[in-house]
Amino acid sequence: MASIGTDTFFATLPQLNAALKAGEFSAADLARAFSERLQQLGPRYNALALPLPQEALRQARLVDADLKRKRYRGLLQGIPYGVKDLLAFAGQPTTWGAKPYAGQVFDYNATVIELLSAVGAVLTGKLSMVELAGGGGYRLPSASLTGPGLNPWDRTRWSGGSSSGSAAAVAAGLVPFAIGSETSGSIVTPASFCGVTALRPTYGLVSRYGAMALSWTLDKLGPFAHTAEDCGVILQNIAGKDSKDPGSAGKSFYYTPQYARPMKDLRVGYAPADFAEWVEPATRPAFDAAIAVLKVSGIQFVETKLPDFPYSAALSTILNGEMGSIFEPLITSGKVDELADKPQIAGLKASLELPAKDYLRAMRLRRLMQAEIIRIFGTVDVLLAPGRAGIASRIDQPLDRGAGGTPPKDPGFRSIIPMGNLAGLPALVLPCGFAENMPVALQLVGAPFSENTLLAIGREFQSHTDWHKRRPPS
Amino acid sequence: MKLTRRKLATALVSATALAAQQPQPAAASDSDLKAARDRLQANAAALAGTPIPMATEPAFQFKA
Repeated sequence: MASIGTDTFFATLPQLNAALKAGEFSAADLARAFSERLQQLGPRYNALALPLPQEALRQARLVDADLKRKRYRGLLQGIPYGVKDLLAFAGQPTTWGAKPYAGQVFDYNATVIELLSAVGAVLTGKLSMVELAGGGGYRLPSASLTGPGLNPWDRTRWSGGSSSGSAAAVAAGLVPFAIGSETSGSIVTPASFCGVTALRPTYGLVSRYGAMALSWTLDKLGPFAHTAEDCGVILQNIAGKDSKDPGSAGKSFYYTPQYARPMKDLRVGYAPADFAEWVEPATRPAFDAAIAVLKVSGIQFVETKLPDFPYSAALSTILNGEMGSIFEPLITSGKVDELADKPQIAGLKASLELPAKDYLRAMRLRRLMQAEIIRIFGTVDVLLAPGRAGIASRIDQPLDRGAGGTPPKDPGFRSIIPMGNLAGLPALVLPCGFAENMPVALQLVGAPFSENTLLAIGREFQSHTDWHKRRPPS
Repeated sequence: MKLTRRKLATALVSATALAAQQPQPAAASDSDLKAARDRLQANAAALAGTPIPMATEPAFQFKA
C-alpha cells in the first residue's frame, strides 16, 4: 500500500477514486488518514464541530467490501467528506453552530447525507458554521459556537461565513469535499476567502430535508471542493427530486462536460466598474489576469447592467420575515440571548416585528426582479463578478462596518449576491489569484439550472490556471 | 435567628423596592435592537420606492 501523504489530502475526486480502485490504499486507510487530519488540524482553524471517526471507519469498511467485489458506485465511493453542522445526522449532535441547540440530536439523516452514503461517500465529520447561519446579522466572526472561523491561509483572518468550516476544511486538505449552505452569500463568501472551488446550485435542485431552515424560499445546499469538475460530480450525486422538501424543483442533474458548448460560443456579461472601481486595489492585478485567461479561451465579454431594484432590501426583508417565523420559539423563550453575537440576537428579536405588508411587498417585488433578471440571460449566458471585493477580513474586524470612501457611481454587479439568491440562480466560485498572500476568486452566475455551463467555464479556466491547486502554509 | 412570616414579607418587599430603585444595567442590546429595527424600516423605505402592479402576486408557491 502506498503511504497516504500530503498530495493525497489535496487530491481531486477522480485521483482519489483511481487510487482506491487501483488498491493503492483502502477506503478504511483513507478514512482513517483524513479523520486523523481533521481531528488534528480542524481545531486549528475552528473548523471542526464534531469528528465522526468511528462512523467513518465503519462506512469505509463497507466500501472496501464492495470494492473487493468490484461493486463500483461512482467517483464518490470511499471518498471522505464533511458537512456543515446544520445537517441532521442521526444520533449525533447537530448544533446549527449555536449554543441554544448544543444538545440537539435528530433521529434521521438529511437527504444529502443519505444520497452521499448510498454512493459510498464516507462522512468523517461535521464542520463549524456561524450560529444559525448568521440570519440575524452578526457583527463579528466570533458569532459561532466553535469560535471564529480561522482562514487556513492566515489564521489572523476570517474564513468567511456562514459555511466557515466547510470552506476552511477543504482549503486545508482536511476533507476532499464538503457540503455547505447559502441563503445569501454563505457559500460564495467563504469559498472566495479560503480559495476553494464551490457551487451554489439553483434553488430547489438539492433537497434541504434535514437541514436547518433559515429562509424557506432562499436556502440552498451546495458543494465545496478542489475543482469545478469535482463540484459537478458531487452535484450529480446530491441533486434530485425529494418529496420531503417542499421547495424541491423535481429535477435531476447530470454532469455532462462532454456536451459543453465551445467557449467561443459563450457570452459573459460583466460590469467593468466591478473590476476597475469596486474591488480593492490590491486585488485588481489578479482579477485582470483572470479575465485575460477567460478572453484567451475565446469567451465573448459583453458589458451588462443589472436591472435596477433594491435587491439587498428585498432579500433582507424576506429573510427577516421567514427567519422570524422559523425561530419564533427560540426568540420568545428568551434562549435567543444565549447566542454569541449581540447584533445577531437583536436582529432575531426585531424580525418578529416585521410587518406582513413589508414581507409581501418584498415577495411581490421579487416576482418582478425574477422576470427582469431572466431576461438578461437572453443576451448573455453567464454573469461574471468578483467573488468578494477584497480579501478575507481580520477576525477582530467588525463585519457590519461600512466600506468607507465614496461609493462608485456605477453600481456594477455589487448586488449580485442578493440578486442571485432572490432569483434562485446558480453560482460557481473559482479561485483566481492572490492579493497580500490571500486568495481572490471570481464568481460566475447563470440562469436557473445552467450548472453545466458554469462548470464548463470553470473547467476551462482551471485547465489554464493553477490557483485551485495552491495549498495554504502547513 | 428566627424568621417570621412578617419579617420575610418585609424583607421581600424591601428587596423588590430596592431592586426597582437601583438603576438597571443598560441592556447591551438596546442600541443593537434599535439598529436592527432601523434596518427593517430602511428596507421598507427602499422597497416602497419601486411601484408594483396590482396583479403582481408574491413569489412563493403553494402546491395543493
